[in-house]
Amino acid sequence: MVFEEMSAAIEFSNVSLEYGLGNELIKVLKCISFSVNSDETVSIVGPSGSGKTSIIMLAAGLEKSTDGSIKIYDQEITNLKENDLSQIRRQNIGIVFQSFYLIPNLTAIENVLLSLEANQKYDLDNEAKELLGEFGLSHRINHLPSELSGGEQQRVAIARALINKPKIILADEPTGNLDGENSKIMMKLLLDYTKKSKTSLVLVTHDTSLAQRCDRIIELNDGNIA
Amino acid sequence: MGTLLNYPQLSFIHRYAMRDISRSYKKLWVISTTLFISLLLLSLTFSIKQSMNEEIQANSKELLGGDIQINSGIEPLSTNTLERLAQLGQISEMIELGTMLTKQGDTPVFTQLRVVDSQYPLYGVMKTTPKDAAQKLFLSEAKPIVLINENIQNQLQLNVGDDVTIMGQNFAVGGVISSVPDIAQSAVFGEFAIINKAQFDKFNLKTGGSFLHNHYRLKISPDKTTEGIINEIESLFTGDKTVETRLPKDSVQSLRSAIDNFSNFLNLVAVSAMIIAGIGISNTLLSFVNQRNISIAVKKSLGFSSKVIQLIYFYEIILILILTSILAYFIGVLSPILANSLIPQAYGIELQPTFSILSYLNIAFIGLLVVLIFSIPSLYSINSIKAVALFRNTFQPVSLHFSTKNIFYLVILIAVLVCYFVLQTQQQFFTLVYFFAFFATIFIFYGVSRLLIFFLKRSFSFSNNSYKIAYRNIVAKKSLAPIMTISLGIGLTLLLTISFVANNLKTEISQSIPSIAPDVFFVSINKDEKNDLENLIRKLDPEVELEFMPMAGASFISINGIPIETIVSPDNRSSWIVQGDRRISWLEKPSEDNPIVKGEWWEPGITDQMFISMDSRAAFDLGMEIGDKITLNILGRDVTGVVKNFRKVDYRDISINFAIIINQAFANKLPFEYVGTLKSNFSTDEIQSKVVKEFPNISAIKIDRILSKVSEVLNKIFIAVTGISLVVIVIGLIVIVSAVLVQTTFRKYNNLIYKILGVNFPTILKAMTLEFVIIYLTLVFFAITVAVVGSYFVVENTLGLDWTFDSTLTLWIVLATAVVAFILIVIANKNIFSPKVYPLIRNE
Ligand SMILES: Nc1ncnc2c1ncn2[C@@H]1O[C@H](COP(=O)(O)OP(=O)(O)OP(=O)(O)O)[C@@H](O)[C@H]1O
Ligand SMILES: [Mg+2]
Repeated sequence: MVFEEMSAAIEFSNVSLEYGLGNELIKVLKCISFSVNSDETVSIVGPSGSGKTSIIMLAAGLEKSTDGSIKIYDQEITNLKENDLSQIRRQNIGIVFQSFYLIPNLTAIENVLLSLEANQKYDLDNEAKELLGEFGLSHRINHLPSELSGGEQQRVAIARALINKPKIILADEPTGNLDGENSKIMMKLLLDYTKKSKTSLVLVTHDTSLAQRCDRIIELNDGNIA
Repeated sequence: MGTLLNYPQLSFIHRYAMRDISRSYKKLWVISTTLFISLLLLSLTFSIKQSMNEEIQANSKELLGGDIQINSGIEPLSTNTLERLAQLGQISEMIELGTMLTKQGDTPVFTQLRVVDSQYPLYGVMKTTPKDAAQKLFLSEAKPIVLINENIQNQLQLNVGDDVTIMGQNFAVGGVISSVPDIAQSAVFGEFAIINKAQFDKFNLKTGGSFLHNHYRLKISPDKTTEGIINEIESLFTGDKTVETRLPKDSVQSLRSAIDNFSNFLNLVAVSAMIIAGIGISNTLLSFVNQRNISIAVKKSLGFSSKVIQLIYFYEIILILILTSILAYFIGVLSPILANSLIPQAYGIELQPTFSILSYLNIAFIGLLVVLIFSIPSLYSINSIKAVALFRNTFQPVSLHFSTKNIFYLVILIAVLVCYFVLQTQQQFFTLVYFFAFFATIFIFYGVSRLLIFFLKRSFSFSNNSYKIAYRNIVAKKSLAPIMTISLGIGLTLLLTISFVANNLKTEISQSIPSIAPDVFFVSINKDEKNDLENLIRKLDPEVELEFMPMAGASFISINGIPIETIVSPDNRSSWIVQGDRRISWLEKPSEDNPIVKGEWWEPGITDQMFISMDSRAAFDLGMEIGDKITLNILGRDVTGVVKNFRKVDYRDISINFAIIINQAFANKLPFEYVGTLKSNFSTDEIQSKVVKEFPNISAIKIDRILSKVSEVLNKIFIAVTGISLVVIVIGLIVIVSAVLVQTTFRKYNNLIYKILGVNFPTILKAMTLEFVIIYLTLVFFAITVAVVGSYFVVENTLGLDWTFDSTLTLWIVLATAVVAFILIVIANKNIFSPKVYPLIRNE
């Protein structure tokens, strides 16, 4: 039974997330369960404050859940230490932020190489150049982020997330800071890559047209999956 | 510690750090300069000390003038003994005495006269102009020859061939001495002259002069073992209290301990500079980390562990440390060459720069410890930067991180630093106290900042916008108030302490020429001459203030039967009182100038028992108590007396002060001479000339010459201290800048938001001013208190002066520091005048 052996890339089971704010307890996620298969693209939609970003942070191991189990390729991550989480992240996960977050004093290619260097892969400049070339940035390789447009910055950021061939891509409103044209280019780059390399993608977005281009849509409402 | 680093990872860290340094070296200048200046200071002191000690070690025989020196005091050794010594090697006789040297028609000069034989010097050479003057000294020409030093030449405008009179005998000036090898034996600053012993004997000058001493130096024959001979000679004189033997190592002892003391002081200053630089490093690193907040978060999101990120920054600092320490070391090593041009030629010291990997490592190690200690809390703050912030767009500034593990590391490192440093110094206790005080001060200011926050929170708030902003900034969860308070507090405290000490020294200099001091000192006044002398002076100036005291030579033997050498170590402050020949005097009634501080004066008229009155400070230093039995050797006879009282003696007034005074009734039987002091409105030069002409044996010492020499030395010390404190001040300012920098990174964003929200510029400026004033006012009180305590300790205990407080100076320093620090803060926050939103959007 080949299919049963194939594991889920991300698996949330009864995950809750709460923040204590003074005496108040804010329940951000209320016992949610879902899974994302290893070659599946999933979009998460929902009103502001419904907990979308929180799910991404939990999946990336950047936030601790209050309750429940989170597995990345069958490995339970809720009880791991920071160092082990770092390792899982750098080996499996690529993250794209809404605000790009390139390192200001590194050039485009150096920003991309950084994610390889985190995995102790050095001297792969050619691959980075190639990828940036695919993203239409061959002429911007040695530019600092401050010398790039918003769309270009986001493409560098995506290249940085993809260069390491992660098995999971987490993107939190990657097009939120871009205009319609740039959003489309971006979405195409992401989806082309995931389809080509059979990578799973979790995409948080407000844009329903973008959401619909994914295999599946998860709708969040007030910390519950609708 | 997690996984070990492999080579490619290390090389990545190296490449990344190099790139980071080359792209943001401007942000690292605070670390580089503070480290460099403090390492340079350390390297300079180590290097000068080392080359001085090496020079002295290499020349210790020359400095002593022989393999062994025998001092027999006033009496020469017997011919018998001399013959025995002559069998053991080459022997050179020398007599040293104080006397007047007169040029016809000029004021006489009190001179240290060295009477040498043709063997002199046994080691080294005497340098003179003209070059052959030294040989001419021993030619038996009709007219005896004297060699004079530069001081005498300058004062009397003497040329070679001129006539001078010494103890009634005419001499021709044969040349000018530029250096003699055994300088450790004589006063370097004073006037001294050399004559031939054959002529001294021929003209029978023995009866004149004062402070006469006989020295013998022996150069042991090469065919004999040095150690055996030395033992033989030492056993020859055991039991003879009037004879003292000295070896080369003794001759350099006092010189070396003087150098050690001074270099200890410099070392402490250097290490303070290091620690202050450490605070600067800590601040700069923290602001560095905060500026890279986003970059660090991004790296974490990519899966870099905190450890790797910390290593990158740590590696950067280590690179800076290596570069600055190498540079500092090389400049330090070359400094003796510079020092050579500053040391008077008369010392005959030629310092050699010595390179040694070990002394470089010494400096680098101290630097490394300081860097480690001060970068750990800053670098560990990286742990609390979370990648989550990238999703939320909020970057909380991080603060110094003190976990239990950190504190454990810090305690160990500090202990290592302190031990390492203390073990290298001579005055270990003082060094330890100093370190303790320094770290205690850091804690005091940390406490002060906590106290401030505590009280601010409790006090009611004003409904003033500026106050609210200032208040919020100070009491905020990750407030900068502690860092600001510690940096500013330490800087201000050090500045105040050094200024207080320097000011006390300066006051001392200006007060060292007191109006009550006499103008002239007469020594070696024969008992029978006293009345004639008094008549002569009173005839010249009937108004003269004249005072005579009897004086006899004595040496210290024991306290309560315990030999003095076993009680008092040579580095005891008052050891001079118990070493060699001392002059004592006697009184029947206590003197008004010397109030009794403990015990009582004695019953007059008791002739069969000796009572002793001691200088109170010497008594304290030597551990004496009232009622102790003290044995003195007076004119070859051991006499035991009882300590009756301690007097407070102020040696600065230069009236006739004696550390030891005995009861007159007992002393009446002793042979003695007089010393006298004179104060006159009349020309003292004329009185002096007349006296010396009439009484060639009497030495007249003009006080103003001594005083000007003393103040010359003190002035040099003052300049040195001021120069050193300037370095500390510069480092302190850099640290304050670094504290301000930390602030800036924190505040940039806030100020921008305030601006966008429409809080106007005056309000922000007022808030900044208010915040600074609140913090500064709080720490000023503590800084002054600590500085007062510290400087009091240094002035009273180490320098042995009376501490005074100068409120005007304090006010000035406090104000000046405030103004400078505030201007720096405003400059560093200048972006609030024209906040640029652009870089924030452009991700810079
Ligand atoms: N550290 C925190 N402490 C308290 N509450 C928090 C914290 N972080 C997030 N929250 C709350 O959790 C809820 C979910 O936040 P989350 O960022 O996941 O929402 P979201 O769906 O991404 O919203 P948006 O579409 O606006 O980005 C919000 O109501 C937020 O106020
Ligand atoms: Mg969100």
